[in-house]
Amino acid sequence: MTIADPWDQRISAFLLSPSQFLATTTSESFLAEVLHELRNDKANDQLKVLLVSVLLEHPTILCPSSSVGEETAVELLSVFSNMPQKSIVLKCNIMLAITNVIICTSCLATHTKTAEDWLDLLFQTIQDTNDFRCGLSQQALRATACDCLREMETCNPGLLSQKLEALYLLKQQETTVLHQSYCMLYALGLKNAVRILAKQKDVTDLEFKSILGGNEGFVWKNSQLGLTSLPINMMVQVPCLPPGLDCKELKSIMSSLLDESYLLTPISQSALLRELVEVVAMVPGLSPTLFKSQLLRLFGTADVSLMHATLFMKDTFTDSLFTAEDENFLLKRLVGTAQHPLLRISEKLFYMECILHFPENRPISSSGEESLPVLVTPRLAASLHPTVFNDSATMLCRLNLLCLVHLEADEGEADKGIDYLFDHIMALLKIVDNDGSREVVVTSFRGLYIFLTHFNGVEQLSEKLIDRLCDMYSRHSRLAPNLIGLADRIQENLDDPVWSVKLLRGLQKSIMEMPPLQLTIHNLSWHLKILKRVAKEGQITQKNTIYLLLNVLINSNLCERGNWQVGNAVLAVCRNLLEHPSIDQMFIELADLLQYISVHYDDTDIKDHARFYYTLLTNLSWEKLTGLLVKGLDGGRAKERSHSAIIAESEGIASNLTVHKTNRHVLQLIKVHEKASQNSSENSESSQTMAEAENWLEVYQSQFQTPGFGSEVTLRYNLTHVKESDPLFDKVFTICLHFELKDSNYAKVSDIHVPCVFKDRKPPEVKVKLKPFQPYPTTLCISAIFTTQDGRSWHSRLPDVGVSFPEIFLPVPLPLNTSCESKEQVFDHIWEAAASGNPDKSAISLFCFKTGDESLATLIERHFQGYLITDHPTERLWKVLFFLPPMCHVLLKITQAEDAVQVSVATDNWELLPFVNSYLQNITDQRSTTVTDG
Amino acid sequence: MSIRALWVVSHEKGESGKVRFSRRFPTVEFRAKSLAGTQYVAIPEDRVIPQLLLTELGLVDADKPYVEVRDDCARQHRSPAVELRFNGPGGRTLWPVLTVTQGPLILACLPLVEAPPGPRPPLPSLASVSQGLALLSGLQDFLCGPGGKPEPDVQASRLAALPSVLLQVCPLGRPLDTPPPAGLVPAAVAPSPGGAQKQPAWKAGVHRGRAVVSVALTEKVRSMQYGKSSQQDIWDVYGMVMCKCEVEGVLPNVTVTLTLPPNGSPLQDILVHPCVTSLDASILTACSVDENDGSAFSGPYKFPFSPPLELFRLCSYTSQVPVPPILGSYQLKAEENHLKVNVVLKLHESVKNSFEYCEAHIPFFNQNLMGNVEVKVSSGQLEVSKEKNLLVWVLGQKFPKSREATLEGTVYFSGTVAGPTDPLCTGLTAYIKLYFRVPDLTLSGCSVDQHSVQVYSSAKPRIVTTRELVSSEYYIWNSTGDAPVSSGLMVL
Repeated sequence: MTIADPWDQRISAFLLSPSQFLATTTSESFLAEVLHELRNDKANDQLKVLLVSVLLEHPTILCPSSSVGEETAVELLSVFSNMPQKSIVLKCNIMLAITNVIICTSCLATHTKTAEDWLDLLFQTIQDTNDFRCGLSQQALRATACDCLREMETCNPGLLSQKLEALYLLKQQETTVLHQSYCMLYALGLKNAVRILAKQKDVTDLEFKSILGGNEGFVWKNSQLGLTSLPINMMVQVPCLPPGLDCKELKSIMSSLLDESYLLTPISQSALLRELVEVVAMVPGLSPTLFKSQLLRLFGTADVSLMHATLFMKDTFTDSLFTAEDENFLLKRLVGTAQHPLLRISEKLFYMECILHFPENRPISSSGEESLPVLVTPRLAASLHPTVFNDSATMLCRLNLLCLVHLEADEGEADKGIDYLFDHIMALLKIVDNDGSREVVVTSFRGLYIFLTHFNGVEQLSEKLIDRLCDMYSRHSRLAPNLIGLADRIQENLDDPVWSVKLLRGLQKSIMEMPPLQLTIHNLSWHLKILKRVAKEGQITQKNTIYLLLNVLINSNLCERGNWQVGNAVLAVCRNLLEHPSIDQMFIELADLLQYISVHYDDTDIKDHARFYYTLLTNLSWEKLTGLLVKGLDGGRAKERSHSAIIAESEGIASNLTVHKTNRHVLQLIKVHEKASQNSSENSESSQTMAEAENWLEVYQSQFQTPGFGSEVTLRYNLTHVKESDPLFDKVFTICLHFELKDSNYAKVSDIHVPCVFKDRKPPEVKVKLKPFQPYPTTLCISAIFTTQDGRSWHSRLPDVGVSFPEIFLPVPLPLNTSCESKEQVFDHIWEAAASGNPDKSAISLFCFKTGDESLATLIERHFQGYLITDHPTERLWKVLFFLPPMCHVLLKITQAEDAVQVSVATDNWELLPFVNSYLQNITDQRSTTVTDG
Repeated sequence: MSIRALWVVSHEKGESGKVRFSRRFPTVEFRAKSLAGTQYVAIPEDRVIPQLLLTELGLVDADKPYVEVRDDCARQHRSPAVELRFNGPGGRTLWPVLTVTQGPLILACLPLVEAPPGPRPPLPSLASVSQGLALLSGLQDFLCGPGGKPEPDVQASRLAALPSVLLQVCPLGRPLDTPPPAGLVPAAVAPSPGGAQKQPAWKAGVHRGRAVVSVALTEKVRSMQYGKSSQQDIWDVYGMVMCKCEVEGVLPNVTVTLTLPPNGSPLQDILVHPCVTSLDASILTACSVDENDGSAFSGPYKFPFSPPLELFRLCSYTSQVPVPPILGSYQLKAEENHLKVNVVLKLHESVKNSFEYCEAHIPFFNQNLMGNVEVKVSSGQLEVSKEKNLLVWVLGQKFPKSREATLEGTVYFSGTVAGPTDPLCTGLTAYIKLYFRVPDLTLSGCSVDQHSVQVYSSAKPRIVTTRELVSSEYYIWNSTGDAPVSSGLMVL
């Protein structure tokens, strides 16, 4: 199969990135190609399964509207019904695709004919219980049909609510492996029907009975999806039927479902149990004790989804089904399973989460936050203590759980437990100290963070940790970013930030105490990072930092080497020092340091910065200084001015001082609508000399010898404010528009500069010049940098601008006053060439549509005015030529036949045909068109 | 109870990740959109998924010591679910993404959050989470098989089979079953047309041919021995019963009974396969996290079930046994560039002295490679590994009559090449790891008597039962050095 390979590639390209793939084609034409190939008898099933997968995964991209969705579903349905019996897998895939399309394009919600037909077909398919009619080979189709129906009922709850008797009978009859599918379908239908009824007021016995005996059509009115279909544990109030209804029949149905649940796979069993739990919760006449017979089996299960369903049951029914003893037992099982050597790590992590959110019969709080069940004592949880042998996630999860356990334990027990956890943290740090891997380092710091968030109040331990961390830092300065991160996070997340300050003070001290040999260039950059962070703390005195920096600069060759990065890192410390509240006490020292750098550091930029800081320090009061340096990224209109942008680099200040970013749109481009006829070619100078020429085609073609001739399309836009923009941006200046293209079909668009845009003035016009390599529709991503009145610079994105296919049309580039005859000559020549297959990519196609006489003239005037070559209304013939840069032509011959309008299309680039087709479809009535490829 | 999307991403060291398989479920997405309203976060395109996933799992930029988005200490990776963040900090996130990593493969799925928009609901309140976990586990078994490391071409063919597997087990995003484990689908199966009895969904057909029931009981023993009064030795046993039942009939009844010897300590934490039809309450009462009282139920443990066609784990348990099967002592003494080594291993008298294999591995970390090895063993042979960083003491099939074996001597680290490093085993922190297997033995004393296996079917099946004891994580730490704490149990 030679065709298969490109399809392989194209489909994987599409699935990997639909947006990139569709940059070179339209979704319409791709969809058309896919559907076309699906009807190709020569293509094999494997390829067709691949083709269907695009609709299976991205139906809404290929079918952007419900009308396209419906058409596609109809197409697929016809493919489906014409398929040989043996193509089971392909047929199943098409069934899924149709269901996807119908649901996702809202064909189901809006009750279209196609959706109805499809439902009928599905329902008919599932009637063949035990494969009596179609045979065992067709079983997979039935299974798929059941699942499709179940999905449709899920997305449109109540759809099957009048068919429950029929579904029940089918479920009873079916004895093959598909019994499960019928069972699940029935259970879902039952639950939804009960729920809809429970929302009604005053339900009578008769209404209640009628849902079980329903054998009518599909119910379309309950079409709202969304919050109405939440599971009951997410509802504020569970809808309930009135008490006193006769539940005998329902009860026996429920019992039989439960008895047979054993025949279902564990995953489906758990789903069934959840549906049945919901039904019982909504029907007061049913007692939760229905489930009693299943409990033991569930308590002992090794299956995670069944255990989870049991917890759901516990959450719903609490002490009406679970005694205090059961609760205790279940919790012990959970603790046991959370560390069972034969379970998978992800399952054990999940069970630990379940312990932290255990549905207690009498919960003390119900905030949804992690909280420990009262019954989990240190003794019970002892086996869940973290150890260094655990994998990272397990270790952190256990640590968190045990922190909670010991936080709530009685004093004596708690002390022992906290000591254990502390020793564990110390053991982790020892591994880090012994050059543990990056993963160990990261995990250990996460462990530290968990421990500190719970026990930072235990002073003795938290101090010990600081000593240990500082001690480690003196050996492993690469831990600097981890330590800074820890200090930051603890400071952010605890009410009492003292610990972080102590840690930073300790780190400063250990840097001071380092032997000079350890201050190598490599380590120094880590130390400078720490010192920079330390300098932010007003409570830490900074004199030592300054002495150290000066000392290092004087006693090493750093100044001679003049490394910009090191210099910059030193200045970054100084910058934070300038803001320090105790600057008065270190004024002289800091001035000395800055002066030393400005004189001795062998890098001009660093010298300049140092001098600038020196000037600021010696000339401004502290208030002014901090006002100048203050970070104002989120502060909106802080007083900072852009001249402070010359201050040294640092992550925080760099963004603050250069260009601000706003995530909201400020400006937008609005297309200027113009009449096509005005947009004519600008090359008119040589009209006279060529007027006499005989062969207009040669003349025409020779023009393209001139480089750049006719290669550009100019689009005109107004640059305006978006509707709701911040008053801050009412007047913006020196706007620079930058364009990015989403594809590679166009040359790069150069930046455009606009002096100003005021909200209350006429918007300036912007001309965007596009140079296509391939004249396909495209999207322009635009960003703007501009200045506001207060002198700050901003970066903002504009809404994307789509360039449609007709926007790239140009009239044929001939001199202005070329006669009609000459134009027609050119037209005919190009047409003939295209018709005879020259150049290679030429193609001819035909497009027909129906229209009244009058509207054809209107249509031609509205859409083709500027591109008309000849106009013979009497002969009912029009010739139209679109020129598309760099050198493509699309020629139309429009003739009015008796009952339809025929548009013959010729082009020298067949790849344009899909765009031409959708363009024509767009401007004509979509319903009455037919297309034939030539 | 559905998942929105599923991915299999591969990631080789030093390379960026690659999507090997992916599947989206648009109808589930349709529901996700209407549930989340304005908070809806669309799933990004596949081309960006690997980078997002690997960042979250800490697998990007291996050469950089610290990357904030990857290593931030406040980001807690202690849940089976991670969140994918896009558009930088403060951007939108996709949650909860469940992941399973096996070798270079990462399996991930995104369960549907069936909750009103608002703060994140707790993970256990979402039905789709456990279903997603079960599906991922099944996929893991299907792709990687029991060995865990299939050949690349085998794996490629299994990946290629995923679409048809999903067509059966998760056609529209709602898991219906787990994929069949690779290589475990039995051959002699006839698909069964509908009969009088309903066919279970977990059994594709009925067995045809000779009836055989095999029940294999495997016990694993773990131990950490320190040889000090300050650190108590610990050991435990866990067992599992694997069954393969080739029996005719749609729902044949089989009962397997486990028995303990008189005074045997009760089996704890029993977990059973979903095919077990009923359980006696007393079977489940014993729990390892509980204090044991002597009056606990100690068998016989009856498991009535109707078997699936494939090999399956009928049940598993843990057990507290009074003594470890092999008690060891390990002593190291450091002198200049050599270590004096002394090891004693004692086989407990209750353990049958008949091994399939028994080896003690003595690794040395953070040292130069071994030079001269002057070590004598009282039994078995000693081998120096090719890499010169490990002594392997092969004890063979039997301990000597005294049930005690010793190893004594000096190991010189005269080489100049540094051996392997380990951040845990520094200084005199060192261990011996034991590997052994004893056929026809369990430590708990638990056994399945051939005659106790009852099969209610027309043809009398052949019944095969086996049992074995296998070591797992069996460590003996050097008593002259520090050893890491391995359990919180002893502390309290």
